[in-house]
Amino acid sequence: MRSSLRAKVARTIAAFALALAALLPAATVHAKDLLTLRVGTVESLDSLNPFETALNVGYEVFTLNYDLLVNFGPNNEPVPGFADKWTQSPDGLSWTFHIRDGMKWSDGVPATSADVVYTYNLELEGTKNGGVVGLGYLDPYLKDSFVTSVTAPDPSTVVITSSRPTTKLTHSYIPIVPQHIWKNVTPANVADFENKVPVVGTGPYQAVESTSQYVRMVRNPNYWGKQGAADEIVLQYYPSAPDTMVAAFKNNELDYIHSPSAESFNQLKTAKNTVALASEGNGFTQLNYNTYTKGGGASTTAIQDPAFRQALGYAIDKPTLIQKVLLGYGTPGTTQVPPWEKAWHTEPNDVRTFDIAKSNQMLDAAGYPRGSDGTRVDKQGKAINLRLYVPNTTPDYAKDAQFIQGWFGQVGVKVTTQVLDEGTLVDDEALDTTKPAKGQLNYDMVIWGWVGDPDPNALLQILLTSSIGSTSDSQWSNAQYDQLYDQQNEAATDAERKTYMEQMQQIFYDQAPYDILYYDNNLDAYHTDKFAGWQNQPVVGGAPFFQDGSINYTLLTDASLATPAPSATANAAPTAAGSGGPAPTVAPAPAPTDSGSSGSPLPLIVGIIAIAILLVGFIGMTRRRRAAAAEEDE
Amino acid sequence: MGSRYLIRKVVGACLTIFMIVILNFVLFRMMPGSPDRILLRNPNVTADAMAAARTRWGLDKPLIPDQLVDYLEATASGDLGFSFKFHGEQVTDVLAGRLWPTVILFGAGEVLAIIFGLALGAYSGWKRGGPIDYIGNGISLILYSMPYFVIGILILGVFAVGLHWFPTSGMLTIGGGDDTFASQLLDFFGHLALPVTTVAIGLIGQYSILMRSSVIETLGEDYVTTARAKGLTSGRILRSHALPNALLPAVTLIAINLGYVIGGAITVEVVFNWPGLGTLTVTALEARDYPVLQGIFLLLSISVVLANLVADLIYGRLDPRVRS
Repeated sequence: MRSSLRAKVARTIAAFALALAALLPAATVHAKDLLTLRVGTVESLDSLNPFETALNVGYEVFTLNYDLLVNFGPNNEPVPGFADKWTQSPDGLSWTFHIRDGMKWSDGVPATSADVVYTYNLELEGTKNGGVVGLGYLDPYLKDSFVTSVTAPDPSTVVITSSRPTTKLTHSYIPIVPQHIWKNVTPANVADFENKVPVVGTGPYQAVESTSQYVRMVRNPNYWGKQGAADEIVLQYYPSAPDTMVAAFKNNELDYIHSPSAESFNQLKTAKNTVALASEGNGFTQLNYNTYTKGGGASTTAIQDPAFRQALGYAIDKPTLIQKVLLGYGTPGTTQVPPWEKAWHTEPNDVRTFDIAKSNQMLDAAGYPRGSDGTRVDKQGKAINLRLYVPNTTPDYAKDAQFIQGWFGQVGVKVTTQVLDEGTLVDDEALDTTKPAKGQLNYDMVIWGWVGDPDPNALLQILLTSSIGSTSDSQWSNAQYDQLYDQQNEAATDAERKTYMEQMQQIFYDQAPYDILYYDNNLDAYHTDKFAGWQNQPVVGGAPFFQDGSINYTLLTDASLATPAPSATANAAPTAAGSGGPAPTVAPAPAPTDSGSSGSPLPLIVGIIAIAILLVGFIGMTRRRRAAAAEEDE
Repeated sequence: MGSRYLIRKVVGACLTIFMIVILNFVLFRMMPGSPDRILLRNPNVTADAMAAARTRWGLDKPLIPDQLVDYLEATASGDLGFSFKFHGEQVTDVLAGRLWPTVILFGAGEVLAIIFGLALGAYSGWKRGGPIDYIGNGISLILYSMPYFVIGILILGVFAVGLHWFPTSGMLTIGGGDDTFASQLLDFFGHLALPVTTVAIGLIGQYSILMRSSVIETLGEDYVTTARAKGLTSGRILRSHALPNALLPAVTLIAINLGYVIGGAITVEVVFNWPGLGTLTVTALEARDYPVLQGIFLLLSISVVLANLVADLIYGRLDPRVRS
């Protein structure tokens, strides 16, 4: 009996010892055959079907899988993609694209103009009569170009005609998909098409394995262009776990990470062989007002008055928000077209700067006097108490709200802040047009953000009257703005388009349905000891990945083959030319410090906890002993 | 008598599951935020696109009876529908891929915790007042009160980021060329080590405290005194008389805890980015992916109900008093 129990215990212990022994060397099993680029992101891929993805990571994957008719170059300029040459007819109504000779799909089938016709017709057919292709995100590219037909006179030529002259066809995000794989896909069933692995495309890397945790892509053997050093690319998802992603990066399990928190980003600045890159982003964070006037909605009519919104604009200290909330990773906001869209952004006249006295004076002048308790009252004599809602997606919004609550308080406008679940807020902000407006749109102000496309239409259109009920979160309606939108969309030249857009930005700024708080930076970090040749897009002020298109993946080189010159980090550091945008913060690694010792204070914490446990145990023991002794004495 | 007890318990469990199925439907539709709007927060979306998505997902139909009837019919036939977030994928496929990593992680963690926790508890109770008892009990109390994610972050910081002994996250190293089965297995164990330790550490306290008090209580019983009077060695008393009886409450706890093997601790999975049901729950919740959430909750509640049923049955067998 006794021996058998002992034997059992011994066996159990031996088993665990074995298991532990098996675990320990596991971490060292890394050296394998292929050079793998591992990229971490906080999003998780929703679909391999380009027409069904709503996420940044989805665009990253499909631009690796496929070529656009015309790709995005190092500075987002048009460069050869599926087509290698293109010309516009003198009347501007027809474009001729030449498809690269001898190009093949990754499965070896020739890639021809018929594939372009198939893909573009899928869009044209699907968007006829107000229809939608998939999620509809790729629809505007042909619709806004007024395309009427796409034909292929021969296998290497595509002719696209439009009812108006257009300049947008060379900025289209529609990937050219292989007709021989997609032949049964129609606008009606495109949403059901899974586009299973192995994906067949003409892009530099093809997805061969896809799970809910990662997608693995390998080199396209038939790729027409220069290939990058990575044999394969693994995009790993860290939804809701940005800190785990950063830990994996520090542990060299990832070579590149996108969107770490600002705090961890700052830590990475001093890490070895690491470039931490803050770059200008194509998006903004805004304070949007509920300007709806047709029943339901805001708690006061004051918020419908542009003069009231303008006055509040002087009570927002944007540089302070950027310093305290973003830790400096952003620039003060003005218009709805971010400076990232260099060709289109214009700084408005009469920019509002932080000035409490001026704000007070403007509120007085606009007819919102202070009541007996110092709180301003609206024109109906009602005390103004604005509800400010922020989504729970990032703590930054709640921090912004605290500051704004304080500043607005100084000008006599009371603010009650509430953090809401993202889903609740989306519902609050959207008008259900099938029901009466009364009882809907129960919010006054919201802090949230938008991210744009290379083409400004995306960010311009959320402020259209026609967006009320879908994307409009300000419920703003301005006939002049709507008209200018159509005019810029129909403009024959970029120069003409820009003049309309300048007016749109000024109207937006003066009417202030949004107060753009800041243009957020993109935060990225990568290691320089495994891959070299990192290039940013745009070259000055951009970041290597999660931009537009996949060109930078093809420029990577194997760092172990590179000459050991300091060029690896020097390449990555963009020379900050003063072209309007903020100088990107690049932190190449300083002189290597003793690895580990400069790291986290965790070992210390663990030590303290261990000592605390021992101490508690010891005190408890002596106490019990004493008590026991006392009992015995009695 | 025995069979009536059995039938009563099984029928009770079935009724509970049916209630859960209904509650599942109501609960997720009471949540604010509709899935179409969440998914479509993109500046390029139009009202047409939104309407198309609603139709496609059946959200344009009235909640009751249409959506409810569809749901009950489908659930009964084992069809949990399609995921909104992972377009086109069957919910059962999504769940199946995520089930076994969670079962392995929490199964192994539970086993480790049971072995070490019960052993520590039994020893502490037996040598009450000894140094192992004081230190062990102190540690148990601290671990018992520590949330998983705190333990997880500490372990992650020390053994992965600090010492580079183990990988931080995921279940396997993806890519890198051909692998032998053995190297993949090693890789898997390497990834498993930290999360499984976290789970085990988080649970040990619970088992050890319960076992300790149970052993102490049993050692005070008359039959133990009798055994001692018969002149048995204290080791023999512990093994033959005290332990078997002291294990009774532990059995219940183990059975109930096994029900949570599937539910897991979401926080551990999130900290280590473990591809299990916990991380899936978070993703699905953010996307308002009703079908996936319903599937997870169904699976979770069924496993808890079944575990309770098993606990009842085992207890009924071990302790005849319960059956009557």
